[in-house]
Amino acid sequence: MTRPQRERLAARQAELLRALLGDGAPPPGFDPERLRVEARVLLNKRRGIVAMLRPDVADALGEKFRPLFDTYARAHPRQAGSRYREDAAAFAEWAVAQGELAPPRKRRWWRRAT
Amino acid sequence: MVEGLGVGIGWRPEIDLTVERLDVDFVEVVAENLHADRLPESVRVLRGRGVPVLPHAVSLSLGGADPVDAHRVAHLGALAEALDAPFVSDHVCFVRAGGLDSGHLMPVPRTREALDVLVANVKAARADLPVPLALENVAALLEWPDAELSEGRFLAELVERTDCLLLVDVANLYANARNLGTDVGRFLDEIPLERLAYVHVAGGREHQGVYHDTHAHAVLPEVLDVLRQLKERVDPPGVLLERDDDYPSDAELAGELAAIRAVLA
Repeated sequence: MTRPQRERLAARQAELLRALLGDGAPPPGFDPERLRVEARVLLNKRRGIVAMLRPDVADALGEKFRPLFDTYARAHPRQAGSRYREDAAAFAEWAVAQGELAPPRKRRWWRRAT
Repeated sequence: MVEGLGVGIGWRPEIDLTVERLDVDFVEVVAENLHADRLPESVRVLRGRGVPVLPHAVSLSLGGADPVDAHRVAHLGALAEALDAPFVSDHVCFVRAGGLDSGHLMPVPRTREALDVLVANVKAARADLPVPLALENVAALLEWPDAELSEGRFLAELVERTDCLLLVDVANLYANARNLGTDVGRFLDEIPLERLAYVHVAGGREHQGVYHDTHAHAVLPEVLDVLRQLKERVDPPGVLLERDDDYPSDAELAGELAAIRAVLA
C-alpha cells in the first residue's frame, strides 16, 4: 500500500545522504550552508568514533589523521549494515595503501621470535 | 497512563559506577550496545535494586523508506523482556538510505507521504514488540523543503495513528526552536501529552550561530525552561538526563539532576 510512497521517499533520502556523506550534489530546496554544517557534524562524529576505536592509528598519523580521514570518508561513505570497527579497519588499510601509515607488524611482542 | 518514573540518567559503560552512586529513580540504556544474554554487571545491580531500566534504540530507522529490519526489532524486544522494561523507544528519524548509513538520527520530510511510510513502519515494529513503543522527536540541523505539517502535528498524528507513547526531548525541541524556528509553545500544545512516557534533557553548545545538541556539554538554562513550559501543561511521568561524552564529575551530574528536580518540584 505504501510502495509508491516508499520509492519516492527512498530516492529523496538517498539523494540527501549522498550529498551529506559522499560527493552527491546538494538536493534542491535545502539551505546549502546547513547542508555543509550537517555534513561536517556527521563527519566529525564518524571520525571521533574511529579515533576512539583505533587510537593507535590516530596517534601514528598525528596531525595528518584528520585531513586523511576526511579524504577517506568522503570517498568511502559508510555502507548500511557495516560496523564502525570495519570502518576503522578499512581506514587503516587505506592509509597504509596511501603510504601514510606503516603496515601492521606481523610479529607480536608476546610471541617468541623464531 | 504511564506510572511515575521520577528522575533518571542515561546509563553508559563509562559512567556505570557513577550511575550506581547517583540518586536516580530510573535509567535508560542504548539498546544496540547491550545484549539480552550478557547484561553488564552494573545494569544487573541496578535491576536488583528495582531500578527500572528502559531500552532506548537508535537504529530502527523508523522514518526510512525501507521496511523495518526485523532483527533489530527482535533485539530490542528481547532486551525489554530481559530487563522487564515497561516500554521501549526509538526516534522519529531515518538512519540509513540508498545503501548508506548516516551514523546519525536524520529528520524525515514532514509530508503526508513520509508520514504514511513512518506509520506503516512503526505499526510493523510495534506488532513484533512485547511492550509499548515510545517515539522521540529529534534535533535537526536542516529542514526538508516541503513540510506539509508542523513538527507538533506530524508527531501527534504519528503517535495517534500508531497508538504509541511520546518521548519528548526538550533539548531537541530547544535545538529546533533555535536552528529551525520551531515554536515551542505551539509544539507542546499540538502533541497529545496524555501519551507522554517520559522526557529527555541534555546539554549542548552553540557553534558559529548554530546550536548543537552534543550531549557532551552542560544543560543550558534555556533547555530547563522548555521543561518548565512542558510541566506547565502536564506533570511528566519521568525526566531523564542524557550525557554521552566528556563526562563530568559525579557532583556536576548530581547538580544537573538536582536542577531538573527543582523544575519539577
